[in-house]
Amino acid sequence: MKKRLNVSLSLKLTLIVVIVSAVSISSVTTYYIINQEEFFQDAHFPKAASLIQALNATIGSAENLVNYSTLENKTWEFISSSDEKIRPEILNVAINLPDSNDSLKIFYSTNEGDIGQESTYKYYHDLSYNSPSKNDSYFIMEHDNGNNHYLTYISPINLTGKVNGTVELDGTYEITISMNNAYATFDNNIRMVIFISILSLFFMIFSFLFLLHKITVKPIILFRDKAKIIGKGNLDTRVEIKRRDELGELANAFNQMAKDLKESRDKIQDYNQILENLLQQKDEFIGQLGHDLKNPLQPLVGLLPMLIEKEKDPNTKETLQVMNKNVEYMRDLIFDTLELAKLRSSNIEFDKVDLNLRKEAEAVIESQKLLFKEHNIIVENKIDNEIFVYADKLRLSEVLKNLVTNSVKYTPKDGGKITIDAKQIKDEVTVSISDNGIGMDEEQLKKVFDEFYKADKFSSDYHSTGLGLSICKRIIDKHGGKIWVESEGLGKGSTFYFTLKTGKFKNNEK
Amino acid sequence: MVKKIMLVDDDPGVIYTVKHGIEGLDSDYQITTVNSGRRCLELLEKEELPDLLLLDIMMPEMSGWEVYKKIREKLSDKELPIVFLTARTDRIAKDAGGFLAEDYIEKPFKVPELKERIDKILKK
Repeated sequence: MKKRLNVSLSLKLTLIVVIVSAVSISSVTTYYIINQEEFFQDAHFPKAASLIQALNATIGSAENLVNYSTLENKTWEFISSSDEKIRPEILNVAINLPDSNDSLKIFYSTNEGDIGQESTYKYYHDLSYNSPSKNDSYFIMEHDNGNNHYLTYISPINLTGKVNGTVELDGTYEITISMNNAYATFDNNIRMVIFISILSLFFMIFSFLFLLHKITVKPIILFRDKAKIIGKGNLDTRVEIKRRDELGELANAFNQMAKDLKESRDKIQDYNQILENLLQQKDEFIGQLGHDLKNPLQPLVGLLPMLIEKEKDPNTKETLQVMNKNVEYMRDLIFDTLELAKLRSSNIEFDKVDLNLRKEAEAVIESQKLLFKEHNIIVENKIDNEIFVYADKLRLSEVLKNLVTNSVKYTPKDGGKITIDAKQIKDEVTVSISDNGIGMDEEQLKKVFDEFYKADKFSSDYHSTGLGLSICKRIIDKHGGKIWVESEGLGKGSTFYFTLKTGKFKNNEK
Repeated sequence: MVKKIMLVDDDPGVIYTVKHGIEGLDSDYQITTVNSGRRCLELLEKEELPDLLLLDIMMPEMSGWEVYKKIREKLSDKELPIVFLTARTDRIAKDAGGFLAEDYIEKPFKVPELKERIDKILKK
């Protein structure tokens, strides 16, 4: 996407440069061509005019005009004395006298047979024009027949002289010049001009693009690349543009930004380090606290049951039993509070492996069999032996243990039944632990996973910390699963569900 | 027949509980107590091997985990079975992964529970 943006910028610039260059070059060229044409004409007309004047001078008198043979010689003199550049282009020189009925007397022609002939001039057979009046000094016509271009100069003759008495002769001179060479030169010039225009157009485009690329596009690409590098976290990157323009200022601002970013990042990293150290200290403290709180309990937890067993006096025995219950409650409270604190810390790592769910549940049931016996509760493990889950072994047992002992707490002694089952749907396993206990109403269902929540606050029989289910929820959450409870109502039992990812089936498990 | 059990723990409360509790419940068990990992290793070198080792994890100087590794370099599970005495926070510690396969009992434990575990290992 970024690449496309880059191309598009160059394309836009190219388009602008092409349009600007094309417009400017073509207007200059057009202006030049139009001017050339005018200049070309302007350059030829005076020459023709001077030719006519020269011819007029050579004729000199009416006598000469009447005497055509004299005139022929004079014409030759005129032709040979005229401008060398024009001479080869003079096609013919003719005189038109009124008494000759619009026919021309040709004195000079490149077509030699025409000389001296008195006829309608062949180049003019399709041409009609008004004879110039006396007052016009000359008259110019441009005309062509197909490929040939001509310029005809017509100038009035007005001579007075003595030819068989005094006469006044009125007529016209006509000189026809071929414009072919001139037009060819003109066309060549135009071609050259167009060729040079196109060349300079390309030169302009390339030099503009080169400069634009160097001045704008290249620094922009540099900024883009540097911004990418900064985005990856390398804040030591600087843009090396030393210019005294806006881009130079941008580069300074950019570098300052990178510098500021680096400073604030370093600060954040320092703070982060401090926080991490504190977190580490907190975890160590929790571990130490757990150890220190549990060890003093050891003789109480360890030896009280033995004392109770040995004691014969019923009053002392009862006292000892109350003490024992409270010691165990204290132990559970320490366990669960520390466990919850551990699970809250972000850097806890789970060691997830593929586990045979049935075997894990079996181990938990085995570890709690004294409790089941005490409550006279039947626990049934209906999990299919083929189901595997991907979970942390110890955490899974903890969840199962907490859910099963929770069920025990809320299931009546004698006749209670707990069923553990699991269903696998594709890559998810749903585990269920159902009991036929006291069940839950809707409010209890909502709050059951809250910390320190106990379904039956007023019953002191259930010495529970109220943390077991919160621990389960945290563990399952951290496994990416869901945990919930369903109950049809008070007295109708409850079923706890949780989901885990399906593990790989392992046949070689013991 | 008397079975010898060595307990390695630095906490006097634990030592008292295990010694009096286990010996009180079953006179066939004889508990030797050691209060540091180093001392334990020395005794294992010099004296007759006990039938079972109860090993605390969190001890100053040398952790139970280090002691365990040193012992397992020379002695197999059959030659010297080991049961860890551990707090839950210990077994969640990152480097503890290896001993999870081994037997452990969580502190604080009830003496009959510990005895049941010992019975399982020594009498079966």
